[in-house]
Amino acid sequence: MEKAGPPVTKRSLYSWVFSDNYKLQILLVIIIIITVLIRVLPLEMQKRIVNEAINLRKIDLLFFYCGLYLAAVVVAGGLKYLINALQTLIGQRVSARMRKELYGHILTLPLGFFRKTQPGMVVSSLITELAAAGDFAGNAVAVPVTSILTLIAFAGYLVWLNPILGFVSLSIYPVVLFLLPLLQKRANTANKKRVDTTRDLASKIAESITGIHEIQSNGAFGIENRKYGDLVDKLMKIRIVWNLYRYGIKTSNNFFSSLSPFLIFILGGYLAINGRLELGALVAFLSAQEKLYDPWKELIEFYQAYQDSSVGYYRTMEYFDFEPEYALEPEDREPYQLEGSIEVKDLSFTVEGGIRLLDGITFSMKPGENLALVGFSGSGKSTLAQCLNQLYKYTGGHVWIGGKEVSELSKRDIVYNTGFVAQAPFIFSGTFEENLLYSCMARNRGSGTADRESLPTLDEMIEILQQTGIFVDVLRFGLNAFLVPDQDEELVYRIVRVREKFQRNFGEALADSVEFFDENKYLYYSNIFENITFGTPKREVFGEGKLLRSKYFRQFLEDVDLYKPLFDLGDELAKTVVDILGDLPPDEIFFEQSPIRPDELDGYKALVDRLRKRKHQEISSEDKEKLLALALRFTPGRHKIAPFSEMLENLILESRALFREKISDFDPEAVSFFRKSDYIYSQTLMNNILFGKTKTGAPHALEEIDRNIVQVLVEEDLLETVVKTGMQYQVGSKGDKLSGGQRQKLAIARTFLKAPPVLILDEATSALDNKSQARIQSVIETRWKGRATVIAVAHRLDTIKNFHRVAVLKAGKIVEIGPYDELMAGKGMLYELATGKR
Amino acid sequence: MSLPPGKDNVCVSCEFEQNLGIIREIYFFSTMPLEIVKVLAYLCAREDFKAGDYLFQQGDDDGRAFYFVSGRAGLVCSEEDTDHVVRHVEEGEFLGGLSLLGNMPRLFSLKTLTDTTCLILTREKFKKAAERYPEIMPKIIQSVIKGIRDWERKFFLSHAMGCNDCRRNLGVSLI
Repeated sequence: MEKAGPPVTKRSLYSWVFSDNYKLQILLVIIIIITVLIRVLPLEMQKRIVNEAINLRKIDLLFFYCGLYLAAVVVAGGLKYLINALQTLIGQRVSARMRKELYGHILTLPLGFFRKTQPGMVVSSLITELAAAGDFAGNAVAVPVTSILTLIAFAGYLVWLNPILGFVSLSIYPVVLFLLPLLQKRANTANKKRVDTTRDLASKIAESITGIHEIQSNGAFGIENRKYGDLVDKLMKIRIVWNLYRYGIKTSNNFFSSLSPFLIFILGGYLAINGRLELGALVAFLSAQEKLYDPWKELIEFYQAYQDSSVGYYRTMEYFDFEPEYALEPEDREPYQLEGSIEVKDLSFTVEGGIRLLDGITFSMKPGENLALVGFSGSGKSTLAQCLNQLYKYTGGHVWIGGKEVSELSKRDIVYNTGFVAQAPFIFSGTFEENLLYSCMARNRGSGTADRESLPTLDEMIEILQQTGIFVDVLRFGLNAFLVPDQDEELVYRIVRVREKFQRNFGEALADSVEFFDENKYLYYSNIFENITFGTPKREVFGEGKLLRSKYFRQFLEDVDLYKPLFDLGDELAKTVVDILGDLPPDEIFFEQSPIRPDELDGYKALVDRLRKRKHQEISSEDKEKLLALALRFTPGRHKIAPFSEMLENLILESRALFREKISDFDPEAVSFFRKSDYIYSQTLMNNILFGKTKTGAPHALEEIDRNIVQVLVEEDLLETVVKTGMQYQVGSKGDKLSGGQRQKLAIARTFLKAPPVLILDEATSALDNKSQARIQSVIETRWKGRATVIAVAHRLDTIKNFHRVAVLKAGKIVEIGPYDELMAGKGMLYELATGKR
Repeated sequence: MSLPPGKDNVCVSCEFEQNLGIIREIYFFSTMPLEIVKVLAYLCAREDFKAGDYLFQQGDDDGRAFYFVSGRAGLVCSEEDTDHVVRHVEEGEFLGGLSLLGNMPRLFSLKTLTDTTCLILTREKFKKAAERYPEIMPKIIQSVIKGIRDWERKFFLSHAMGCNDCRRNLGVSLI
């Protein structure tokens, strides 16, 4: 459980230094004390070596003291390393803890906060700005304790050696202590000015780049240069001042530190000449005095680091210093299991500026009832749905779910008892299955393996997939998967059987939309490599990416006169794709028709740059390989950005037979050719069943193919296996490999799977076609009838006829509520909305 | 779904270049800079339909815009089980630009009268391009406004003045 304490944003920088790290910090201090004591030892040894061993000519004492000296140095070195290790450990632990706690806090902040916040700001806060604070925390005890103890130890030793000399050499430090903060304050002021001016300069540059048309058309170079120049000069002056102060701090510190040997020479020399100071003591004194400098310098640096990191830390924390609107966990009880009744009374929601988004909303629903919310946009229907689900905190009135006031429930109570589907639902990177189980996993708290048991079974998941109409999509993901050799022997065997049956039943009917593998025809929907080899490389050296390094294959391309035309094709493809897609983000949708994959674009961009600058013969063999690889991937039916000549087509087709002949002589096991009796591992499950590739992306043609494949898979009892494979599909970052409709269906499915007693749908089917929408509507009306209380914000009025009641909102108020037919008959607002007539 | 025999729909001069030529001529996209037109031409896909296929049906929110590369279709309005052909869509015509911009359930069905090839851009692809090049939206909005105004002016001048019923319902450009 969370322990009570101030929220993360209110914690002081020093509170992190000790939390969780008490033991480590104490250990550190102990080691530091030992180290400091050991560091004084060599000084004493120095003195004794000179005074006792050398002066009295005692060899054994010399060895003994030298041995002690050496031992002290070695031990001090080792301990110093240990101190550094502990510092790092503490610093990194604090950084990690700060990052986790602040992230945890940010996730719970009210939605309103995120509307005003750039994601980039959160990213840089968590990643960059906290790093300095973490490092500081690692040093926060070690550095001052070390420095101060060392200072005290050496100072004590100096005073012990010779009180007068001691006090004289220490006398400079109070002066520095007085001067330093003064200088630092001025440096800080200059630093702030620097930050502001840099920002002005940045916006000036941005302005001139944006307005470059105007500058060039007016020839206003002089004007702009002057404006920019003024700012640069201002920045220059500020930076000079800033740096002068910084160096001033350093120099005055150095100056005062080096003053002290001067004092010692004068005074110590005088005393030694008068015989009031031993020579050994003077040597030791000078050494010890010199050693004061390092800890002093470290202390000064620590002071500066503290200033910098605390500014960064508090600025970051202030930025996120808001309270979450709801408790996350219930206090001292399990989450409620509520029945799905809803009672809303005088509900109002007022936002900044006193704008009332909801006003005096009152209605009630029995468990299992369903209600449609309709109204013009801006009427508050979505806001109402979000207030019921704690996404917004209502500012007046009451909402009771199962008799409990929503604003007093914890977030977990709400998660247990309600499900919410947003209009633009978010899908996370990962597999389809992970996203499908997202709501269930969150309800079961986290992702531990123990939770797996309470998650839905495959059958339950499949049922939901069918209800939400995304089953076929998942099936298609499964059909687009690749099998791994030697892993699914049984499945492979069965797929080949499915293939035969499919060919028999549908081969002819699908000839228009499927290009079957045919040894004697050019395959427009397969790439050039597949067209040459008409098979899958089995040997590692012939695998994709390695093939071109094989001299054998390159020689083959030369022999059949394909090398040059393929190189030219690769060259054209690279240039065209870079020209069209060069500026686009690595989004899947942009790369569907490109032989270059998103992650390769930058590489090819650089390559095209090089091609432009160099002559043909100067192109490196690595670049040639890349271009050839691109050409071999070219699939004329899909990549319509480059022309494909008949001559090249014929050359490739001719080379196919030759390739088979030659490779069989060279290494009969190198390639497995496409045969109707063999599973092809380099092809998807789908292509294996088809023994070919689909020619089209047209929905109606794909649907027909899907229908036929499903029929055969059902007959062969393979449907579930394929769907299970499909669930492992990676949906891409933000789910960008899914269509808008698929994302929405997946979001509905994950909420249905959780099966909460209250279901809130906020225009949840807006991206779906009529059929899908009707399907989900009928699931709500049949399967969820009586089992869940459903509130649906509707964007289309033809979907709400069968709801128990309809509430029409206008300007944040319910203007009428009742069964659809009654309201239509009453010719009120619903009638007006539905017919557009007053 | 049908494909021409032989080389299917693979062309010798490349399809992308042909699409580029088409998109540049469409008023809806004509004000855009060339690099964006290139991206749109690349994102378009050709689709072939047999005579009698539906490109979309009344009530669908298919979110697609069509350019008729070849063939003809009829715009059909269904009312209580009877279909009225509102007008014909001919080769070289572009329609559906509005449905690229947001949800737009169809008020008509579009049914092919001959075998037809269309160049199709989907809302999803268009939106991705618009996210990358936000500067195109003001231009598109301007095209839409101009389109609506031109349409109403043409309609007003050619029909509405002579027909009382029509006159009462004028004012699309006043939305």
